[in-house]
Amino acid sequence: MGSLLLGSRPRLALVMAAGLLATACGGSGSPGGDNPPPPPPPPPAGVSKTEAFAFLNQATFGATEAEAQRLQSLGDASNAYARWIDAQLQQPVSLQLPHVQAVYATLPQPVQNIGRLNNDRVDIWFRNVVNGPDQLRQRVAFALSEIMVVSQQSALQNTPYALADYYDLLARDAFGDFRQLMEDVTLHPAMGVYLSMLGNQKPDAARNIRPDENYARELMQLFTIGLVQLNLDGTPATDSEGQTVPVYDQSVIEGFAHVYTGWNWAGAASFGQARPSLQNQVQPMQAYAVQHDPGAKKLLSYAGAALVGIPARNPADPARDLDDALDNIFHHPNVAPFISKQLIQRLVTSNPSPAYVQRVAQVFNNDGTGRRGNLAAVVRAVLLDAQARSAPDATTAGKLKEPLLRVTQLWRAYGARSQSGRYNVQSPAAVAGQGPLQAPSVFNFFSPFYAPPGEVADRDLVAPEMQITTEYLATLLTNYFFVQTFCYTSAPVTGCPAVRPEVRPDLVFIDVSAEMALANDPAALVTRIAGKLLGGEISGTLAAQARAAIERAPASLGGLKVAEALYLIASSPEFAAQR
Amino acid sequence: MNRKLFVKRRQLLKLAAAGGMAYAFGRLPDAVYAQAVNAYARFADYKALVCVFLFGGNDSWNMVVPRSAAEYQAYQLARQNLAVDQASLLPITPVAPLPNGAAIGLHPSMPEIATLFEQDAACALIANVGPLITSTSLAQYQARSVPLPPQLFSHNDQQDQWHSLRGLAQANTGWAGRISDALGTQTGPAIPLNVSLSGQTLFQAGESAGSYVIGPTGPVEFFGLDGTDALSVARKSGFEAVARAAYGTLYERAYAGVQQRALDSAQAVNAALATVRVPNPVPFATPFPPSPLGTQLKTVAEMIAVRGTLQASRQIFFVATGGFDSHDDQAQDQPGLLANVSACLDAFYRATVEMGIAQDVTAFTQSDFGRTLTSNGDGTDHAWGGVQLVVGGAVHGKSVYGSYPVLRLGATLAADGADDVGGGRFIPTTSSDQYAATLARWFGVLDADLARIAPGIDNFTQRDLGFMS
Repeated sequence: MGSLLLGSRPRLALVMAAGLLATACGGSGSPGGDNPPPPPPPPPAGVSKTEAFAFLNQATFGATEAEAQRLQSLGDASNAYARWIDAQLQQPVSLQLPHVQAVYATLPQPVQNIGRLNNDRVDIWFRNVVNGPDQLRQRVAFALSEIMVVSQQSALQNTPYALADYYDLLARDAFGDFRQLMEDVTLHPAMGVYLSMLGNQKPDAARNIRPDENYARELMQLFTIGLVQLNLDGTPATDSEGQTVPVYDQSVIEGFAHVYTGWNWAGAASFGQARPSLQNQVQPMQAYAVQHDPGAKKLLSYAGAALVGIPARNPADPARDLDDALDNIFHHPNVAPFISKQLIQRLVTSNPSPAYVQRVAQVFNNDGTGRRGNLAAVVRAVLLDAQARSAPDATTAGKLKEPLLRVTQLWRAYGARSQSGRYNVQSPAAVAGQGPLQAPSVFNFFSPFYAPPGEVADRDLVAPEMQITTEYLATLLTNYFFVQTFCYTSAPVTGCPAVRPEVRPDLVFIDVSAEMALANDPAALVTRIAGKLLGGEISGTLAAQARAAIERAPASLGGLKVAEALYLIASSPEFAAQR
Repeated sequence: MNRKLFVKRRQLLKLAAAGGMAYAFGRLPDAVYAQAVNAYARFADYKALVCVFLFGGNDSWNMVVPRSAAEYQAYQLARQNLAVDQASLLPITPVAPLPNGAAIGLHPSMPEIATLFEQDAACALIANVGPLITSTSLAQYQARSVPLPPQLFSHNDQQDQWHSLRGLAQANTGWAGRISDALGTQTGPAIPLNVSLSGQTLFQAGESAGSYVIGPTGPVEFFGLDGTDALSVARKSGFEAVARAAYGTLYERAYAGVQQRALDSAQAVNAALATVRVPNPVPFATPFPPSPLGTQLKTVAEMIAVRGTLQASRQIFFVATGGFDSHDDQAQDQPGLLANVSACLDAFYRATVEMGIAQDVTAFTQSDFGRTLTSNGDGTDHAWGGVQLVVGGAVHGKSVYGSYPVLRLGATLAADGADDVGGGRFIPTTSSDQYAATLARWFGVLDADLARIAPGIDNFTQRDLGFMS
């Protein structure tokens, strides 16, 4: 329940929040050595609404006032976040595959229409991330889906079961063990198809055939260690001449390429007869030893490596070779900073300080119990870090929200629903420039290193999401917000096409009834929307322009007043950025 | 050497800051930058470069294939089940025969390119070109005794090399972006020199300006902001006020900058495009393939048709098509990919001929890398040098530039015209810098500025490959 009174004092609320924040920071600062005995500590501060929004925009598919209140009720700033995370870690996984399978059962001529299930896969993705209780798990799974990329835009368009199951794998492993994640991803047939490990055969000198190097290269370059040696804080290590140092060369890639031979769809009588089926699309690939290279294989060489090569094994042993190879990568010192930094970038900020990366990487290397690669501990470290909760540099703090997350945040804040219950966004890329498991290539929709020309590049910083924030795509998404806020609401404006939910059961409508009640109180209406979308923090310019837009719409057109303000705020740079 | 650029840029930034200029939109105002660096008079004529990027690494050793017996045999031996059938190759006959006397042909799915080469003499092949820091022999490669482009055989790193020509430098500008910087604002006020129909690329990122990104059929305009009624006008002014406000974080500023550019340009460009689209008379009758690449190139042709309205004198367009990373199913997939490239480049050239501007428009391909001669069973892997196509009225066509090697496993520079570093990965014998510099010179970049566009050019004796008039 929003209070009308609060609406007239947004500045005061902000000042109070800032004061609380300062107290929280002071309380958790570094211990001073030689100060006189400190005064008794002030009682721990509560979590402000602004702070709750900042946290929830990192940890969910969009902060809502209800979830912010729940977070605030869990305790003070010293324990509420941790309690919220703990509860999320216990949430069961919202899955995609069962839904896709259920739809399949209803399809006429399912084999011919199999590609249509991709729409249902996108639908269940939206259902899970908009309404699912396991928000943090889904958010981490989405982050992983942009690191360990497979895409429907490939031969996988005809295997929607494999895609749904791959996403489920990421959701299941999101709080698990990174080594297990590596293995599950490696053996999943969706990845097998996408990066051509599936069907990769051993060398045949007579026919000049050598193993496919695709998966060997990308597992290291993109999924685990990157190209150059990293310090624990994620910065590149340099040699005596100041140059970066490659982690591997072509001969190592060839070594791993030989490891990844002999795997194919499960359940066939032989390697050559392996074919996809509804069953084996969701089973790990199977090793067919006869197509696995039995020879010695070079691996990564680094200080502390348990083995830097696999000896010749006769008979060929694909599973053991794979184990050795994945262990060799998993224990490389790059994995912790490489994965930690990317998770920070996906959840919290584009430009974490090296110290922040190092703190998380240390947790990756040892969760406190001696365990390496405990993703639950890593995610907790990412979100609870002092820099995540209160960034020291306001200019570089936060990130641009991914376009798709701006859509889901708007939907979550405004209870978006369709009559059918579906979120039938068949091509999210056409609206947002991205969609779940729909990247144009294994390099994702954007690179973690992308720096747009101008201020960001000049300062040697990055803004990955800017790569898909072109004039073209930004306009498309802004136009989507226009249609959503003017036409597909509980109070559409005059002039919109006359669509009623009964006629178009898949259209997603947002609920603006609370706003309609304030249509003739411009200040309160602005405060209401800012409360839902911005956690109550709105700039003077945006508030004034939104208010002016409300005031100039005719008094009789409440829906238009709401639409004008909601559109302006939803399309604003303030909403586009995550604090 | 490229570092100098940054120093210059940084100094300018400092000056700007000292002068109290707000850095509100994340970009140095173009005028300031141009004033300081521009040595170019306004161009009286028009020229356009069109980069056609083949994402994934085109297997160009199957695009241009030896036909003569000995060379075909070496190729067939290396390629095995992926070799294109000898009898199916489309013969092409360069004006100057290849030095070793070998005959070559095009993949059978590229008849339009064969015609452009043979009849129109509007197509040139640049053979075994790729990123190099300096000329590199096999011995030097193996001993690492000369610097090599970092992360050879990696998709994004080698794309970035083609885009940026940065070698070992950490530059975050591309060669088209630097052409824009060098030419300053002398290219027309409506939109930046660089226009992309396929997203952001490093290729078009400059010091002072990025690219203007439109959709495959042109810009999209903001809904609800284009009306002339009082409410729409007021809505637009409110939207603009928010987009032009000062923001505290660089992400908000970067985002607001995109909104401003979208506001500034979309309407003007669409209004111009509308004058050459039905129901108005269209400037060319040539049909374009309905593929994404065909759609993009048709829009580029229309943009060129309205160059006068947009007051553009120099433009670089970026279009792209993907799917070339043929690790799998190459024999099935590659013919369709090459057929599309061939048909689209042909339609684009014919449209420029119809408009009487073929002499002023040059389309050229770039791709991540060439591919291995050896196969992995049903596909090929990442390699290095490859063949690129250049098409246009100003191209000295019907010719092969660079050196087309004998496609032999274990080839050597002395015997075969290029060194194989293993698996049929050829060290380029012509550098991407030379390729870019040749195009940049034709475009109007002064010789003194070439090293700024192609920083490695001074490491090679031939600054101009001669394929442009």
